[in-house]
Amino acid sequence: MMNKLLLPSILLILSLGFWASSDFQEIAAGVAIFLFGMLMLEDGFKLFSGGFLERALEKATGSIPKSLGFGIVATTIMQSSSLVSVITISFLSAGLISLLAGVGIIFGANIGTTTGAWLVAGFGLKVKISAYALPMLAIAIVLVFQKSKYLRGAGFVLAGLGFLFLGIHHMKEGFEAFKDQFDLTRFAMTGWLGLAVYTLIGAAATVVMQSSHATMVLIITALAASQISYENALALAIGANIGTTITAVIGSFTANYQGKRLALAHVIFNLVTAGVALIFVSQLRIAVDYVSANVGIADTDYALKLAVFHTIFNVLGVVLMLPFIRRLIAFLERTIVQPKEDVSQPKFLSEAVDEFPVTVQVAMRREIQHLYENAQNLIIKGLNLDRDKLFETKDIAATVEASRTPIEFDMDAEYESRVKTLYSAIIEFATRVGSKDMPPAVMDDIYLMREVAGRIVRTVKSIKHLRRNASLYTKADTGVITELYNGLRTEIARILVEIHKLERAAPEDRSVLWLDQERIQVESDAEDTIGSIDGLIRSRQLDAARATSFLNDSNYAYSAMRDLLAAAQAYIETEDAIMEVERILGLEDEEVREVAIGEAEDEPQKSLV
Amino acid sequence: MGLRKTSEKLNTYFDRLKRGKASKIKPSHVEKAIAKLKAKQALLNEELAEAVKPSKRERLRKKLGTVQAQIERGEWLLAQINAEPSR
Repeated sequence: MMNKLLLPSILLILSLGFWASSDFQEIAAGVAIFLFGMLMLEDGFKLFSGGFLERALEKATGSIPKSLGFGIVATTIMQSSSLVSVITISFLSAGLISLLAGVGIIFGANIGTTTGAWLVAGFGLKVKISAYALPMLAIAIVLVFQKSKYLRGAGFVLAGLGFLFLGIHHMKEGFEAFKDQFDLTRFAMTGWLGLAVYTLIGAAATVVMQSSHATMVLIITALAASQISYENALALAIGANIGTTITAVIGSFTANYQGKRLALAHVIFNLVTAGVALIFVSQLRIAVDYVSANVGIADTDYALKLAVFHTIFNVLGVVLMLPFIRRLIAFLERTIVQPKEDVSQPKFLSEAVDEFPVTVQVAMRREIQHLYENAQNLIIKGLNLDRDKLFETKDIAATVEASRTPIEFDMDAEYESRVKTLYSAIIEFATRVGSKDMPPAVMDDIYLMREVAGRIVRTVKSIKHLRRNASLYTKADTGVITELYNGLRTEIARILVEIHKLERAAPEDRSVLWLDQERIQVESDAEDTIGSIDGLIRSRQLDAARATSFLNDSNYAYSAMRDLLAAAQAYIETEDAIMEVERILGLEDEEVREVAIGEAEDEPQKSLV
Repeated sequence: MGLRKTSEKLNTYFDRLKRGKASKIKPSHVEKAIAKLKAKQALLNEELAEAVKPSKRERLRKKLGTVQAQIERGEWLLAQINAEPSR
């Protein structure tokens, strides 16, 4: 109902305002141009993502001071705490940063955002900034039409700044002219009522404009034109801080539970800060006067004094909340409980990670790992093995041979719920991300991971085919055929163990090249199988019907082994440059076969049994 | 395991590097990759010393052969990277 009424109400108010005053048109256009500038600034900075921004954010997880510092610097540069909040929620959802670091960044962003007030009060009102805006826009448009992503990004950032300046200019001009017709100070209210009403107006204006920055600019320009009282301006600024939390709340709708916790932290922080500022507003005014006098701000320069107030109350909020940050985290974790893990649902591919190349890549790789875990469990069960025993044994062949009892479960149903659902989510994610403006290298990785997911799914399907006969011939010792199937189970199990070892090794110690040795072994065994089966048929140890079944099943088994190894070599993460080295040193399929055949020729007839 | 394919892949890498589509390999990166292979070699040697079953010993020996060849390739690559620092 509220949503339905909001848009017509805003349009009605604007129309009435335009009809009543042409100066109001200029102020409204100034706000619109300013907001448009902010959108361009955000788009520009997004084009730079995939580089510095993400690297800095990843490093900002080390400690609370680091994340606080990152929040301050990033918001100062980007002039948008909303963008910083959205990026932080995205990184948190992808599992790239901790909740503690995320909360630290949000605290820092609240300090960083105060630089906007300084920019407007100290520069925007004192210098004729429209003189800068127009050349900036002209240069920006040339850059926007360039091919290079970074030049386009710089163009958007420059255009964004140009529009911000132009917007401020129009707001300033509008208020200057407006004051000749109307005296808004007639609506000024004093005392607690004034504080409450203007705080609510400030919050509402920020919710409508989706930018506390725009509200602050509006307040400062109105204050500079003496259209609002200083006291009411303070309340409006406090209200703007409350209203800004709505952006984080909206951003968290598509995020996972961690993103929602961060949005709640933002709301709590801003409400507490606003509450403290309202209660101690008189003391804060004294502090502002004291600081202003000491830094040489004129007693009547209310615009700059408002910037001082904005800074003091946000810094005060951080100082008050920092000692309780760990308690806040505990509260958030209690209030928004981590949902019980449902292995059939994707863990990392929420829409909140869609916007930034790094989060897209990391989320995809982690989801592939999740898919592999599900597939691995299904394969182990499908081969009638016990996961713990398999990963602990020193003699895989003996463990496999001893695992005779078929494990009763519906493999088709588990495949549908634990593998196919994730695979569908991965395909959908790759398609969704593909429609966005992602760097080619990122998309190559996303498509490679999609292929890896396909291999993992194929492996499970192969094991599904193999399972019936493998269970039938290994539940009791029926001679040669039992040994043959146990051989296949053992070879698959060995590969699972090797991948498990690689996954458990520290990233700086492991190398996907280790799996090349397994690839050679697989091809060498596959080569031996045909010769050995021929020999068994000739010596009448195996009848033709069973031999055919076994050869079909061994095809499934070897294709599962090849897919498992290729998938692991692609999805296990290593540092970029090391990955390049390993790509050069790694063996091509053709070389693996050459080496395997060479080994088979060295031992002309190796028996499989 | 000849060096023909490795050499081809190295040329492809240099092409990609020129186009800005690959991360630059420094000698330290190759040394790190070799160190990881040597660590695996040491592990395999330990396993071989403990292994009793002839089939397992044979498999481990083959793996050791592969890892040795990989180390040699790595050393060849290190020499190439050292020889062409400005490429």
